[in-house]
Amino acid sequence: MFNLPRLNIGKVSLLLAILTWLSLLFVDITRIFQFVNGMAPSMSPEISYTLEILFFILVYVFYNDSLQKNENTDFLNMIWRGASTGLLALIVAFGVNMFYKMLGETRLAQDPLLSNFFYHVIFALVSIFLISNALLWRHLILYQKTKKVVQQWQAFEVLLLVSMFFVYINGNVMDYSFLFGLVFLGIFSATLSINLKWIPYLTFKEKWKSILFLSIIIASTSYLLLELLSYSDSDIAFVNLTDSLFLMGLSTFVFLYALSSFLVTLFNLPTSSVFEQKLVEAINFQRLSQSIKPGQDENQVLDILVDSSMSASYADAGWLEMVESGNEKQILHERFIDAQIRTEITELIERTKPFSDFSWSDSDNLSKKYLGKLRHPIYQSAFIVPLVVNQQTIGRLILAKEVKDGFNKEMVNIITTFVGQACISVENYRLLSDAIRTERYKEELKIAQRVQRSLLPRVLHHDETFDICGFSQAADEVGGDYYETKELDKGQYAIIIGDVSGKGTSAAFNMSQMKGIFHSLVQTNPNPTEFIEKANVALGRCLEKNHFITTTYCHLDTNRKEIRYCRAGHCPTLYYNAKSENAEYLSSDGLGLGILRNSQYGRYIHESSIGYGPGDIFLMYTDGIIEAKNKMGVEFGYERLKSVLKDSHRLAAAEIQQYIISQVFDFVGETGIPDDDFTMMVIKFHS
Amino acid sequence: MLTIEKTHESPNWILKLTGEIDASNSVNVDSAIQELLKSGAENLLVDCTDLEYISSAGLGVFMSYLEEFQEKNIGMVIFGLKDKVFQVFHILGLDQLIRIKPDKSAALAS
Repeated sequence: MFNLPRLNIGKVSLLLAILTWLSLLFVDITRIFQFVNGMAPSMSPEISYTLEILFFILVYVFYNDSLQKNENTDFLNMIWRGASTGLLALIVAFGVNMFYKMLGETRLAQDPLLSNFFYHVIFALVSIFLISNALLWRHLILYQKTKKVVQQWQAFEVLLLVSMFFVYINGNVMDYSFLFGLVFLGIFSATLSINLKWIPYLTFKEKWKSILFLSIIIASTSYLLLELLSYSDSDIAFVNLTDSLFLMGLSTFVFLYALSSFLVTLFNLPTSSVFEQKLVEAINFQRLSQSIKPGQDENQVLDILVDSSMSASYADAGWLEMVESGNEKQILHERFIDAQIRTEITELIERTKPFSDFSWSDSDNLSKKYLGKLRHPIYQSAFIVPLVVNQQTIGRLILAKEVKDGFNKEMVNIITTFVGQACISVENYRLLSDAIRTERYKEELKIAQRVQRSLLPRVLHHDETFDICGFSQAADEVGGDYYETKELDKGQYAIIIGDVSGKGTSAAFNMSQMKGIFHSLVQTNPNPTEFIEKANVALGRCLEKNHFITTTYCHLDTNRKEIRYCRAGHCPTLYYNAKSENAEYLSSDGLGLGILRNSQYGRYIHESSIGYGPGDIFLMYTDGIIEAKNKMGVEFGYERLKSVLKDSHRLAAAEIQQYIISQVFDFVGETGIPDDDFTMMVIKFHS
Repeated sequence: MLTIEKTHESPNWILKLTGEIDASNSVNVDSAIQELLKSGAENLLVDCTDLEYISSAGLGVFMSYLEEFQEKNIGMVIFGLKDKVFQVFHILGLDQLIRIKPDKSAALAS
């Protein structure tokens, strides 16, 4: 199988049209030849008519195809195409006329073959010009088309097609039926000629150009029409091709549409600046609403706002006054005005009604605008619109003109709309940057959380004689609870639990200071009293005035089976005695670290010691557990903690811890949110 | 929720705290004390009869004035603490530094 080459309609129709034209010429020349030589005519006029119709259709197909390929050419280009074809036809027709004038009465001028050839050339050019122009007009008529217009146009095309075949009935003789058809087509053309929606979209300059081109088309159409009519009176043609209803109707249409376009464009000239202005406003509006893209800021929006408002109102001066932090006013985007005159006008505005009614603090500024006269040597009228974002006046736009009453209703409306749109853009931008900022803080807090988690030990020091485990949960991302252990010597352990006053970030910072203090002090192997005393001195220098840290510091000696401890304002340790199967709080006196920051603090330190046996439990915790509240506002409390420990004393340290946590969570309930950081450390002795 | 009332019963200034003191409203207590100091109060009675809860941040406010009061010889007495709230003062050890009385008459007598 072989592939057929894709049919190129344009080229094929062009070729066929040329062939048709040549055969048309040949038929006529044969006819003349037979006539001159006195032979009987063998060619009936119907052959010419058929070829003529074929030629029209082929030209139509060719131009239709070529126009569709250049769908997006602008109006001016299109009209120029029509005008250039017209110009060509005009020049050729004119040239032929000149040629015959030059020949005068010579024999050549009388030669029927030559005159017939020229007749056919002009016929072809006129057909091409009219058909191509009609197709261009179709494009213009169907610009911003409605269904009705499309139907109208299709009916017109059908009518034109019918008019081609009219020649078979009428034989191109001017009679009443011909006239009737022509008038009908003329009326139809006139109704189509009101579809001129493309004209307003031309700029002022384009309108001038299109007027020029349209006049060329009108001139060409008129001249060629007259030329064709002159042929119908002469006896050159044996078969009259040009008096066809189709050509006459078409030229009427082309002429009428060109004329109406010409006139409408001409009358549109003075108002075209208004249309252009509106178009600019629409584009400005779009720019304002799209203006904040990532990487841009509100300054650019305000820049566009001033530009757009000034061009919409033809203002002679304009600027923005924006509220800075702390009620300072900043002047932005000054246009065509110097600082001195601007200050004069600003002062004038404060004294002149209605501008003096403007108040920065008014919550209802959104709906307000101030328009009035100015008594200034240069500027005679002014217009002020407040910029309101989120019910707050963020600034005002001031426009001034050198004429009195310079701002009309339309200007006021469009500028108010511009300002509204700019405010929306600014608001969106601010919301977006707020969201980004919040997101960044969240990220930072997450980092802080990770860092703080790493400050709490993952493994606690111990030996085979006891188990120890710790747990901590912060109410916010970061918290102020702290626990840690350190092996001081074999069988000697330092154990600390602490709670920084307050919560959140400030507590977290102080907690890390506490950790530092713990690690430096345990180096010196202090006894609990020394530790608390020195820690108080150290913290006294770095804690804020109203902050303190409560802590319990224990010194565990597994050889002597003894714990020595100091309680510095911290929740008393809960001690479970396996032998007596009883739990009690070890409440010795003490004072929180940082409460007294002088030497008197030492008086409040009390060191105690307690011996322990196998199965005994030490529970250290922070007040978050005691103060955990349920839905009814009841605290978990000391008694409940005590009984929970008693219930679980048989379990291993980690299980006891789990049990207490689950009991606290059950107590608080699903709806309860932990209000405070809570932390605990469970120590269970095996021997 | 916390409401703070200030009354002057010469020569004493009474600061009545109702509700709960937590991290968010402890600054209000602080500014109330500041105002009383500015108006020249020398004897300060803090009425905690209707105080339901005090957080560590609230304790921090009272704590932060201890030295200043001592220096300027200003007397401060807290009275009417509920048991639960008193426990908080006690565990921290603040009851050793601040005079805490069961009721107003005891506070006035001191």
